Amino acid sequence: MINIPGVISQEKGLKSELLLVKGLTVDFETFDKKIEVLKDVSLKIERGEVVTIVGESGSGKSTLAQAIIGVLDTPPAFVKRGEIYFDGVRIFPTDGKRVKFRGTGINMVFQEPLVSLNPVYTIRKQLLEAAEIGGIPEKGGEREKVIKNTLTELMIRDVERVLNSYPHQLSGGMRQRAAIAMAVIQRPKLVILDEPTTGLDLIVQRKIMGLLLNLRREINTSLLIITHDLAVAANMADRIYVMYAGRIVESGTRGDIIKDPLHPYSLMLRDSVPTGYKESGPLKVTEGAPPDMSALPPGCPFHPRCPNVMDICRKNIPPLKNIGDVREVACWLYEK
Amino acid sequence: MKNEEILRVEKLKVQFLNREKLKFSARKTGRWKIVLDEISFSIIEGETFGIVGETGSGKSTLARTLVGIYKPKSGRITLMGREINFKKREDLLYLRKNVGIVFQDPVGSLNPRLKIREIIREGLAIEEKLSRIDQDKKIDEISDLVGLADSKLDSYPNEISGGEKQRVSLARALVNNKRILILDEPTSSLDVSIQAQILNLLRKLKDELSITYIFITHDFNVIRYMCDRIGVLYYGQILEISSVHDIYENPLHPYSSDLMNANITLETENKFDSQYEIGEPSRSGCIYLNSCMKKFEKCNISPPEFNVNGRLVKCWLYESGKL
Repeated sequence: MINIPGVISQEKGLKSELLLVKGLTVDFETFDKKIEVLKDVSLKIERGEVVTIVGESGSGKSTLAQAIIGVLDTPPAFVKRGEIYFDGVRIFPTDGKRVKFRGTGINMVFQEPLVSLNPVYTIRKQLLEAAEIGGIPEKGGEREKVIKNTLTELMIRDVERVLNSYPHQLSGGMRQRAAIAMAVIQRPKLVILDEPTTGLDLIVQRKIMGLLLNLRREINTSLLIITHDLAVAANMADRIYVMYAGRIVESGTRGDIIKDPLHPYSLMLRDSVPTGYKESGPLKVTEGAPPDMSALPPGCPFHPRCPNVMDICRKNIPPLKNIGDVREVACWLYEK
Repeated sequence: MKNEEILRVEKLKVQFLNREKLKFSARKTGRWKIVLDEISFSIIEGETFGIVGETGSGKSTLARTLVGIYKPKSGRITLMGREINFKKREDLLYLRKNVGIVFQDPVGSLNPRLKIREIIREGLAIEEKLSRIDQDKKIDEISDLVGLADSKLDSYPNEISGGEKQRVSLARALVNNKRILILDEPTSSLDVSIQAQILNLLRKLKDELSITYIFITHDFNVIRYMCDRIGVLYYGQILEISSVHDIYENPLHPYSSDLMNANITLETENKFDSQYEIGEPSRSGCIYLNSCMKKFEKCNISPPEFNVNGRLVKCWLYESGKL
């Protein structure tokens, strides 16, 4: 089932991948039902690579991120299968050992910034702590300088007020920026961002993305960006994974997915973004909504909305197949 | 499309009580925070007029003032030749009968304890003479039109999806033949494919009901796709009003051009690598003074609106009226 070229199975076999997820399957179990939220998800991130996961709500993209950093709520979530390697070390399953990877290893910015921020400390205290973890020397007010610069970079106009505030005193956009600053200051090897730009202004979005790309330039940080906004993916990513109903349905380079999507769902996502003027005619999108995960249709989960549906799609789930070097697609159309 | 003016807004000013001394509030004048600073525009029947602006620019305040939720401090709103007096009940009823609104948050704008049918019926409360049977007929018609399955009419809001909720909001707003529909970020809480469905639906409804839209959003791709003309709002002032083609191909005001440059689409690449700066609004002179790359001495005085080939621009660069 797991089909990644060059995968290493021993615990310390070093390859260039920074993060490697193999066959991750996560179930949500409640009293009366069991829902497969992630099904055999495999992905890898190279050092210094920007990877985005695009998908709609309920596609499992946030669950995937939470599973990677090991903060899934159990119950209801149970990881059924799968392995995760980070920087050559297996971080899941750990067989009871403690493996430290959060902080300067993997750092996550959650969609809801209040999750990342401690409600009883001021932003200053929290950012100073991040600077300490990031290895910035204390003498000469160096840490204070770094946190102020970072906040200014993120277009926060009254840095002093923000630093002296508690998280609840700030607006959503400010909190989001404080959380991103906290991640950036720690200078991690991988930053996972869950919908980092939702609700932020265009110019602020660009500032945030610029800051993250700077970090990559300076210390070769990798980024995993989870978004529903294909335009963000098109402008940030080296590689894109498209998720639907808990599965990866297509992956490839930015050019592959944006210019020449193979899976009908990727195509629909791309065509959903308006690119022209009024005269350009209606958007090519089929009716229907993402499926209810507790009652997935048999066969390919996308078949009820798919314009190219065939008989086989209603019966069998298409496997994710390698086509080309870095390209995978799960669709019966390409099964030859 | 008839070339008739349907709504005219003149020197509309809305202010809120400044409870906290927020340092980043726009143009503080003592206790009052001016949210809309004497803005003027007019809307032609049958067009889609877009209002774009960033957080805090006053977009939603404008929408709410136009349906009479907020009262303006000064200024005039004329709807189909009748000036609205915000103190008179019949004027407000007239306004609400003709202008509908769809809010951004579909969850917050639907009563969780009413069934969908009753929520849509609320839109008919203003039509006093309608019998219940006629009401039901209208509700069925409109839910057909917005693509809401009959079976959903007896559900509660928490039982339907986000896209369906937005369809319900649309149905409620349109059930009594409104002339103008204000759409305040109608798709920004939706998934991309659902957003595309709603945008297609909005365009279909406009053709079938020949209605005028005021479309408020911060998404530049959506606004280009939906609108005929655009007003650019920045901290309570409209800096430019142009046709959508003009503003995307040749933005005049420095702020519009900065916004257009910052926009990312599927075609742009690596746009995040370049640097942009938009600072605080200026308290004196031109409001965009602090961030403007093209400022000169004259900008210390607040510019009036100049008419450049039918486009309105609030910038001294276009004083001569030529490009």
